[in-house]
Amino acid sequence: MGNKVVTFTEQQLEDYQDCTFFTRKEILRVFKRFRDVNPDLVPKRMTENQAHTIAVPVEEIEKLPELKENPFKRRICQVFSHDGSGNLTFEDFLDMMSVFSEAAPRDIKAWYAFRIYDLDDDMYIGREDLLEATRLLTKGELHQQERDEIVASVLDEADVDGDGKLSFMDFEHVVVRAPDFLSTFHIRV
Amino acid sequence: MEDQIEEMELKPVNVRRTFTLRSNVARQVAVNFMPSRQLPYGTLRLRRTTSENNVLLESSGDETDKQAEIIVREMEQHQRLMEDNPVSEELRREALRDLPQGLTMKRNVRAKLSASVSLRSKHRPINMFKRLKYRISFAWKKARDRISDLIFSIELWYEAIRHVEGHFGSAVGSYFHFLRWLFALDLVLAVLVISFVVVPQALHDQHRNRTGSMGFLDFVSGKGGFEDSLLFYGHYHDGDIVTTGPLTYNMPFAYFFTMLCLYFLFFALLCYRTAYSYRRNFIEIAGGLSNVFASKVFCGWDFGITSQQAAALNASSIYNEFKELLSEQNKNQVTKSFWTKFWQCLVNIVVTAFVLGLIISLEYGLWQLLSSETDLSRWEIYVSSIVTFVLAVCPILFHLIVRLEFYKPRTGFYVTLARTGLLDIGTLTLLLVYWARSGSECWETSMGQEAYRLVILDALLSLFLIPLVEFARSFIFKMNPSDSPPEFNIAYNSLTLIYNQAVLWYGMLFSPLLTVVVTFKFFLLFYVKRECALRACQPARKVWRAAQTQTVLYMLVTLSLFTTLFTIGSLFVRGSSQHCGPFRGYEAVYSVVSEGVLQLARRRTLAQVLAFLTRPGVIAFLLLSLCVAVYYMRAKARAQRSMVGILRRMLVLQSKDKDFLLAAIDKVSNGEWLYSPKPEDQGADSHTWKYLQEVRKPSNAGYHFDPTRLNHSMIERPRSYAKDIRPNSYHMERRKSSEDGETDSSFSWQGSGNCLNKENDAEVGKWL
Repeated sequence: MGNKVVTFTEQQLEDYQDCTFFTRKEILRVFKRFRDVNPDLVPKRMTENQAHTIAVPVEEIEKLPELKENPFKRRICQVFSHDGSGNLTFEDFLDMMSVFSEAAPRDIKAWYAFRIYDLDDDMYIGREDLLEATRLLTKGELHQQERDEIVASVLDEADVDGDGKLSFMDFEHVVVRAPDFLSTFHIRV
Repeated sequence: MEDQIEEMELKPVNVRRTFTLRSNVARQVAVNFMPSRQLPYGTLRLRRTTSENNVLLESSGDETDKQAEIIVREMEQHQRLMEDNPVSEELRREALRDLPQGLTMKRNVRAKLSASVSLRSKHRPINMFKRLKYRISFAWKKARDRISDLIFSIELWYEAIRHVEGHFGSAVGSYFHFLRWLFALDLVLAVLVISFVVVPQALHDQHRNRTGSMGFLDFVSGKGGFEDSLLFYGHYHDGDIVTTGPLTYNMPFAYFFTMLCLYFLFFALLCYRTAYSYRRNFIEIAGGLSNVFASKVFCGWDFGITSQQAAALNASSIYNEFKELLSEQNKNQVTKSFWTKFWQCLVNIVVTAFVLGLIISLEYGLWQLLSSETDLSRWEIYVSSIVTFVLAVCPILFHLIVRLEFYKPRTGFYVTLARTGLLDIGTLTLLLVYWARSGSECWETSMGQEAYRLVILDALLSLFLIPLVEFARSFIFKMNPSDSPPEFNIAYNSLTLIYNQAVLWYGMLFSPLLTVVVTFKFFLLFYVKRECALRACQPARKVWRAAQTQTVLYMLVTLSLFTTLFTIGSLFVRGSSQHCGPFRGYEAVYSVVSEGVLQLARRRTLAQVLAFLTRPGVIAFLLLSLCVAVYYMRAKARAQRSMVGILRRMLVLQSKDKDFLLAAIDKVSNGEWLYSPKPEDQGADSHTWKYLQEVRKPSNAGYHFDPTRLNHSMIERPRSYAKDIRPNSYHMERRKSSEDGETDSSFSWQGSGNCLNKENDAEVGKWL
């Protein structure tokens, strides 16, 4: 009988199962990935309130293989962190992985996708947000004029109420009906 | 809300933004109490507005508690959510999961909710029956959770697929996922077949010795020593199997019912899976295909990529697609003339006819080949290899042919898939029919052997030859870098999988151990393909619609199973061979059921009832009612689709309405509404006062507006900006127009109330 370190209490695991789209085993797997980021900072036992107090700094989270190549990694960390700075506690991280998992329904993903693409955090995806997004997506390859054209076309297609920026409803209207959305907005942990 | 707005007005402009946000919050709170938001929903999903509330307010320890309180209070309003039974618990869980809040907040809410629920439940005694029902459903739910946990813990190849997906993107990942799903399916099939059919037979066989040669070519062809073995149908015993114990095992029953159950069970499973996939990937996205730019920006980046090379490729493919879209947009869209469309249609028809002709001639050629009498030893191996070779080459041929036609790329792809599927299934059906009609002594064993040979030869091809070709291609590319690096051909590989699965469906009845062979083959195929992909291929440059293609692949597998069931059913109704196999004793296979199980010979009435039910009239009636039901569902679906279109348009209009109304609410609460009685302009001769007292008297129900009672008519000439004021003597009828544009002279609400009007003309614009 070895000394098995209990990572979470039963109550915590049940809570997590109820509040996320993960099963027990997946939660433990997520914890393992989280701990691998900084084993010194994250303890093995998370039975007290370490799950929502200990925060791993954003520079280290961005080094995770799942996020390393993502052009929106900084914004993703900001959206899911509890204080908007990008430093993630374990519960933030679990939340993030739960939203990106396969079982999350379309509209939850749409909501978080909206927040991620809303780079200046004003609850609207405006022209500047779109310009920045296209720049990040193509790694700076497009010319300014081409980017302007693309942004104009996007607003043309998606802006339903005609205010020159995309509200959540406009965004959801586009994205929920895109065939690729579920398969691209998906990180396997 | 009032004090917030007043506070806002006193602050300088640079702080306005935060307060604008706060007023948005206020608006949302007002909106939340509108009647339409108070209805209990079927799915009890909370609105995004709550989260907007909470996101905009600052978060600190105290505030999170308050926010949790707000959420809990809103959830408490839904009666169904707050009961103390497993159904409500499940609903609460769903509602929690759909809450777009952080996990810490959700745990808070959950704790508060359970406390509140347990507080309420104390007042409600439940009767014994309900308690029992709840306990059963609760236990069932727990059991289901534990089983799904167990299934997920087996997670074969999880890391391997993740690794491939990181390098190649989710499209290639979906291929490996499909492979894994088929492998799991076949594994279950194999286990069931072995335990119910093969093991009893093996026990029965203990005392017989093996005869016949067992060389390598025999292994490939299934003849010789392998012919009368566990591998094939002919070997199976047709009576009871007795062992040392008191139990007997009736082999024909076992064989029949196992196969029947397996076929129908997997048919049901496949139908369900296909329908689910279709609903998720086709129906839910209906109407979204015209937003090309928006889809590209928002869904273009594959979030599952983990390698630098794949990321660079994704970025460059997005860049190329943007350029393509832009150039298409800038090009003048030439509308095709009637003759062009006619010509394209004609070409499509001609090529389709050509392809169909090709397929039919291939089948005919196969038939001739099979019937030709030769003395070549191992003739059957040659035939099978020719079939395998043709079936391996044709998809590539079809892919080239479809480029001659005028289809959109997506449609062309589906057309190729359909043609290849037709070829595969047609060939297999042909083989089955040939062997059934060949009149040889034990045609089932021959069919089993044919299926076995096909699988083995295809294994040779796909496990050895094709990887060699791919490695050679990548080697050539390395030596001589050209424009097109070798990519992982998802379509071709998926078609191989479907072909193998179809062979399994056809052959499973005649060769029970074929399931084991195919399972093992898929196991090896995974590793071979993974190595091929990682070492010999590059990520694809064009991004794929993986999810929709998955649905089409599932559909093809289901279709092949359906065709199998149909063909085998119709063949077995005629009768099985009398010299071999477990159904030797019965004249027709279904008499296993009618004689063996139901014993119709003894039960006259049952026999008569069944005879009546299987009359053509009854069956025709059933088919007809099925057709009517399908037509009805289709009509309903179309009606609902048009309803969805109407509702979408209404949604758009509603959102505009809402914005308009909320802006108006803001203005009212802001005091900008003209008719709010401010003390300064309540002078007895002010027009406002007169208007309020005389025209808009409280007793004037319905606000009937009588313009004749006004001193000044509403229909007024535009304010004159003329610098000189003409003397009254010239224009008697002309009214005095006030110079400062005060709204005394008009009741329009362009000029708003007095005290705000002077400073806030700019602000008015902001509020609109």
